[in-house]
Amino acid sequence: MQYDGTMDELGVSLTRGTLDLLILKALSWGPRHGYAVAEWIERATGQALLVGEGTLYPALHRLERHRLVSSEWGLSESNRHAKFYRLSAAGRQRLLTGTSAWQRFVGAADRALRATAPLPS
Amino acid sequence: MRRPFRLGRPERDVDDELAFHIAERERALIAAGEEPGRARSRALERFGDLSRVRAECLTIDRDRDRARRWGAVAGSLRQDAGYGLRRLRRQPGFTLIVLLIIAIGIGTNTAIFSLIDALLLRPLPVPHPEQLVAVGDPRQTASLSLGLPQASLLSYPVFADLRDQTRTLRGVYASGYAQRLDVVRGRGGDVTHPRGRFVSGSFFTVLGVPAFVGRTFTAAEDRTPGGDPVVVLSYGYWARAFAADRGVIGGTLSVNGVPLTIVGVAPPDFAGDVIGQASDLWIPVMMQPSLMPHTPWLSDRSVSWLLVMGRLAPGVSLAAARTELTALVARSLLEHATATDHDAIEHALRAHATPVASGARGFSYYRDAYRTALLTLMAAVGLVLLVVCANVANLLLARAVAQVREISVRMAIGAGRWRLVQLALTESLLLAVGGAALGLAVAVLGSRALLRMGTGVTLAAGLDGRVLAFTAALSLGTAILVGTLPAFRGTRLALATALRTQGRSVSGPSLVLGRYLVVAQVALSMTLVVGAGMLARSTIHLAHADVGVARDNLLIATIDAQRAGYTGPRLLALMRDLTGRALAVPGVAAATLSEDGLFNGRYAGTTVQIGGFSARADSDTTVAEDAVGPGYFHAVGAHILRGRDIDAHDNETAPRVAVVNASFAHFFFPRGDALGQHVLADSATWEIVGIVADIRQNGIRDAPARRLYVPIFQATEGVSEFRVVVRAEGDPARLTAAVQGALSAPDPSVAVLDVEPLDSLIGSTIQGDRLVATMVSLFGVLALVLAALGLYGVTAYTTVRRTAEFGLRLALGAAPAAVARMVLREAALLTGLGIAIGLTVALAAAHLVEAQLYGIGLFDPPSVGLAIVVLGLSGTLAACLPASRAMRIAPLDAIHTE
Repeated sequence: MQYDGTMDELGVSLTRGTLDLLILKALSWGPRHGYAVAEWIERATGQALLVGEGTLYPALHRLERHRLVSSEWGLSESNRHAKFYRLSAAGRQRLLTGTSAWQRFVGAADRALRATAPLPS
Repeated sequence: MRRPFRLGRPERDVDDELAFHIAERERALIAAGEEPGRARSRALERFGDLSRVRAECLTIDRDRDRARRWGAVAGSLRQDAGYGLRRLRRQPGFTLIVLLIIAIGIGTNTAIFSLIDALLLRPLPVPHPEQLVAVGDPRQTASLSLGLPQASLLSYPVFADLRDQTRTLRGVYASGYAQRLDVVRGRGGDVTHPRGRFVSGSFFTVLGVPAFVGRTFTAAEDRTPGGDPVVVLSYGYWARAFAADRGVIGGTLSVNGVPLTIVGVAPPDFAGDVIGQASDLWIPVMMQPSLMPHTPWLSDRSVSWLLVMGRLAPGVSLAAARTELTALVARSLLEHATATDHDAIEHALRAHATPVASGARGFSYYRDAYRTALLTLMAAVGLVLLVVCANVANLLLARAVAQVREISVRMAIGAGRWRLVQLALTESLLLAVGGAALGLAVAVLGSRALLRMGTGVTLAAGLDGRVLAFTAALSLGTAILVGTLPAFRGTRLALATALRTQGRSVSGPSLVLGRYLVVAQVALSMTLVVGAGMLARSTIHLAHADVGVARDNLLIATIDAQRAGYTGPRLLALMRDLTGRALAVPGVAAATLSEDGLFNGRYAGTTVQIGGFSARADSDTTVAEDAVGPGYFHAVGAHILRGRDIDAHDNETAPRVAVVNASFAHFFFPRGDALGQHVLADSATWEIVGIVADIRQNGIRDAPARRLYVPIFQATEGVSEFRVVVRAEGDPARLTAAVQGALSAPDPSVAVLDVEPLDSLIGSTIQGDRLVATMVSLFGVLALVLAALGLYGVTAYTTVRRTAEFGLRLALGAAPAAVARMVLREAALLTGLGIAIGLTVALAAAHLVEAQLYGIGLFDPPSVGLAIVVLGLSGTLAACLPASRAMRIAPLDAIHTE
């Protein structure tokens, strides 16, 4: 998939909170390593949302620091050593609350962007 | 295969993780048709800033690891504490006993330390106390010197010079004892005598003490003598006497008959600039002449009564201030000295310049008076704490031995030895902290009780940060002392047990360590008991010391004639009248007069010139002086060695005569020809007509001064107070009311103060000694009881352990008494060893309390003998029960235990 920069031109990029939410979502089906998380985000969004795939890793480590995910070393599908991340109970909870907050935000922003007249004063 | 989470090596983790990602991407790119040669750089390109990502991840991981490490430590501590608490709760009796023992040890230490803190260490509760500079001898908080101007105590004019001329101080005030104050609140209220000080207007501003209610003094109060009849109350006095009523501000208080307006109250923590004698009220020094008529202390350079305190100007050192201030005092003294005084003042200043020292801790008489007493007590409670530690260590040790199987099981299932030691230490820390918390309660009650035991000291001895830190340090030390040995010992025993086959250890391991601890306890108790004996015997010597007069029969009444306006011939007539009336009281054998009295802290001195005597030191011509009535020496029961007593003919018109004491006669007339010689003193010549054996005047320990006695009728100049001294036929205390009545009869306006038997006056001068002896004895008994319990515990344990052996011996025909003797012998060995060690320590350390001793040597056989008997008896007693139990062991039982 080509990373083409159109998102940047619009001034909309992946904020940290959104990225965290996507990572948690990626892990909600079971443990994955970082590469698989990146792949999932790209495929699921159909976009190269990450400004460089590397930006995923500080986010993953931060989530681990706050005990929303835990990590373990294991073997990948290609039989190599890889660090697997697993959603913790707190992380699952955060995914739920984060998702509904995100949806409220998007709904509100959407309504505002569809507005056809200035607000009555 | 999954590797476990690795702590502490984030670099490798991060590098491996990122390398994996890039490799995966590279493979994916190749699979998607990328040229293998370019795939790697494409993968890196898509990844972004590799080194930044790596650094960011590392920072986060290190932070994570740090948090988890602390979490792990805190978690294990919490776990240990929880385990310890559960264990302690399972044995409530044991826990309670240990807590109480520790509470006694830490409580007594904290109590004594809180007194040391309050009296010796704590600075005044004012901003920046380190800037304060005290001028004058800080011990002379209630002194008054008439005559030759002093260097250690200032007169008001010298203070005024100092205040106006100093450049090293940016603020300075004077403070002096206000003598006896007659305070009446409202009309017809009771007369009370609160403790007050005359202070200059700058007192509160220099100290930086704001008013709690109302206002404090201002510079305006320093201008006009008698112009500002105001008073500031201390918080304590306000709360006590006025129930903290804000309404009293603006009201009046009659002080010595002068109405003073109450303008303010000082803050709660401020009890004045004198530590150990809390002030009740402060009055502007300008009011002194109004409150004390006929005593013009503000203008009189011969009245030295003020201590001075100042604040250093910015950037000035104490040394610089000292240089300036001593010079200013010297100049002020010498500039105004009369021709005759000039040389004497110069001599005095050369010997002792005005003391200038840090004023951070205020002035204090008691600081010096009680220093050795407090340090002695601190040493005593230190010993008690050591006994406590040994005792508790022994208890914990015994328990560790009892639980050796539990410990060995834990070790068998993989608990490391260090982990178990940590567990045991956590538990002893819990005990120590719990004991210390209880001990704080003991300390608060104890220090208050101590202060109330008639010491005269008023102190706010509480738990400030320093005291709490001390207690915390003590409990930590106690935990380590108490916990370490049993912890290591217990785990080692467990190790040994685990290695051995079970079954042979039913009787338990021997308690070698426990025996050492018992010996230590006996030794420490011995030291303490010997010390207590020596102090108690000193106190008995002090209490019955020969002071040179009939101490058991004298009653001394203080008369304040001056405030009622008696001077000159009227004063003489009053003196004669009162003597006669006292003599007429039934049960009075003799009555006489003395200006200064005995054992009340008053001291009068003068300088003498004697023909043919040349002084080698300035102090050679200084003598103590008293003015006494007719028949004084006969009345007080002193021994006239040569010549005669003062008699009724030695009146205002007769030739001036004097009696001197033996020290005086020997010093000035070593050839023994004092009688008939002349002495020049107080601008008059006195002929020596008698020599009297030395009389102790103020302190039993003080060496008798060279003393000159002159007839009171020939020296009434400047007499403000005098004493009627009565010798009773029996117990003088029974005559108190009758004598008081007789003396008050002629003129109710003449105040009759303090009618008190000499014996109780002497008693109050040795109150501190008595207190120390009592407390150390108490601590000695405490240590003794603990040591006896420790000995009992170890002996009982050993007896149980040897049950099988004793049973076998009995079965084989040994006499029960022989078995009992075996038990007793071991206890005697431990006790004897402890006594020997304790005695050695006591003898080596005796010189430390030398200042507290009186009438006994550093080696005091009665004290040592008594201590040996007491310790020996306690030891025997402690061993008796286990011994008798050993005698009654049934051989059959013994076999069953095996």
